[in-house]
Amino acid sequence: MIVCPKCGNKEIPGTLFCSECGTQFATASRDPTLTIPSNLADQLREPYPEGEDHEIPPTPEDANLSLFLVDTGDVIPLEGLPEYTIGRSAEDQPLLPDIDLAPYNGYEFGVSRLHASIKISPPNALLTDFGSANGTELNGQKISPNQPYPITHGDIFTLGKMKIQLLVNRSGS
Amino acid sequence: MAKQTLYERLGLPRDASLEEIRHAYRQLVLRLHPDTNLNPGETELFIDIQHAYEYLADPEKKEDYDQTLPADQDVETPISHKFYYSQPSLVRMDEPQVIYALLELRMHPDTSLLISSTPLNISLVVDCSTSMQGTRLDTVKLTAIDLVRQLRPQDVFSLVKFNDWAELLIPPGSRSDIKSTEMKIQLLQAGGGTEIFKGLEMGFSQVSQSLARDRVNHIILITDGRTYGDELSCEKLADQSSAMGIGISALGIGNQWNDKFLDRITSKTGGMCRYVSDISQMRNSLLSEITRLGSCLTEPINYSYQIPSNVELRSTFRLQPDPSPLVFGSPLIFGNMPRFGSMKILVEFLIKDIPAKTASFTLAKGFMNYEIPRHAVQTHYVQRLIFERPITRAVIKEEPSIEILNAVKLFSLYHLQDRASEAMGKGDVNAATRHMEILATHLVNKGEQDFAESVMEEIAYMKRNQTFSEDGEKRIKYGTRALLLPAKTAERKS
Repeated sequence: MIVCPKCGNKEIPGTLFCSECGTQFATASRDPTLTIPSNLADQLREPYPEGEDHEIPPTPEDANLSLFLVDTGDVIPLEGLPEYTIGRSAEDQPLLPDIDLAPYNGYEFGVSRLHASIKISPPNALLTDFGSANGTELNGQKISPNQPYPITHGDIFTLGKMKIQLLVNRSGS
Repeated sequence: MAKQTLYERLGLPRDASLEEIRHAYRQLVLRLHPDTNLNPGETELFIDIQHAYEYLADPEKKEDYDQTLPADQDVETPISHKFYYSQPSLVRMDEPQVIYALLELRMHPDTSLLISSTPLNISLVVDCSTSMQGTRLDTVKLTAIDLVRQLRPQDVFSLVKFNDWAELLIPPGSRSDIKSTEMKIQLLQAGGGTEIFKGLEMGFSQVSQSLARDRVNHIILITDGRTYGDELSCEKLADQSSAMGIGISALGIGNQWNDKFLDRITSKTGGMCRYVSDISQMRNSLLSEITRLGSCLTEPINYSYQIPSNVELRSTFRLQPDPSPLVFGSPLIFGNMPRFGSMKILVEFLIKDIPAKTASFTLAKGFMNYEIPRHAVQTHYVQRLIFERPITRAVIKEEPSIEILNAVKLFSLYHLQDRASEAMGKGDVNAATRHMEILATHLVNKGEQDFAESVMEEIAYMKRNQTFSEDGEKRIKYGTRALLLPAKTAERKS
């Protein structure tokens, strides 16, 4: 048996997607939609301006990747899934983000209900904005919706006005 | 035409096993037995088949016969096939496992160009029950008239109207007087019930009268209602049609028709079922169905197969060119092969256990039968197709190809909608809503904003009313199915 890392549903070995929640169990070796011109990618990889210095907290030992919420100081570990949707839950809406920013004042920060996703695609991760109302910035640059951008350790992205930094635990991988 | 071999007569490949010979024979007997068959000339065919079977079922006679055949040349088949699997191997383990296979069929471009557009033998079976009254029937009439005007001299067309009984309005082939044909269609009136079997049966007898192997033989049913009590007769008729190479498609108008039933009838024959949510889409739906049929090979491709007892088919789905679930059973009807482009079939196998001491495992063994109309070399082809995988002790760490991953991903989205319907059927509104919520989340994730919104509206309705909205279930079912269309897929890539 394999157990879905997201919902705990049991599936027969060999199954590719959880029949209960649609989570993918295997990741593709290459991503056909990744079409970023190299010069743009270089721009994106420029380090975050030194001026806005802040302390980077240690990553939790057990997680390879985690998100550091710059404004509140919280750390959210990313564990077990190949892809995470990020958004904000609300009473009246049926969308279920994997990472719910509602408890961190997501609404006040202008985070959309389903704002963006992070896909783990070694050696880096891919950030995709879902055409959110307030948009997403990566290291200070606005990114186009529905297009994946590679992000690595230390990159800061902004959902609406909420700043989030990606942390990669080097020892883990 | 070259003289047929005994194998060809039974629609078998040269390396057919005894079991396959027996199976093919039984199928043909069901179809051609003089007691059940009324078509002239087929009694002789039946005798030919008997004769072929007597030879091939006897190992000694078979060997003698095989010696007389010229050596089997490796002819390039006009349709090429390619398999993609979700895993490089099956793994020895103490529990069942699943593997997906994606079969891609593609016509050789040289052959595609050789065949000109295919003539049609079509019967339009139109529901004229009371509920069709008004815009619905008026639109169908106008579209049918358009259709008649577009037909070419080589096409055969008939029109059947039905309510509590069926009536042949336009007999096949009589297209000498287009004006009076149009007049007859204009005068159609609505009233009465929806006895689908009566309509289908009459349509079937029109198409089978003009049955020809170099035409697309097809019934198109247009209905907006449910039939009661004759579902089994309809299914039997679909089986019979399928055995004769006659396809059935259906256009369901509005919210009252039975999608599960019509999906089943049409898939049995390799046809497809379209949802006409609004009558203004009628014209487009019917004319695109006609275009589709005209751009295909004549007979639906079928696959006769056998699977070992420790293997089970969990699902079979045609992803391209017309997304539709396929009905289990041998032969499996793949459907009409497009002359250009490809056909993609997704199969999910459940392997209960793996026999000891074998290095490779056959999931399904069989052969496809298809017809290339008016092809210079040969018109009928039998092509071997074997689904198999090597067996290994450990899992080979290799990620599935993009082709199969995308196919299974879209299929699993479609499946979520199925699960919601299933849960609702059992009265579990919470589970149904949950599956719809997950579907909506995945749709946003895929960039399908508009469709996701529409699913979310449905979820809000379900929460308020504890049931699906009138058109919600069908809208989402055929909507997720449309995601699989090649045009959609290409759009998303760009």
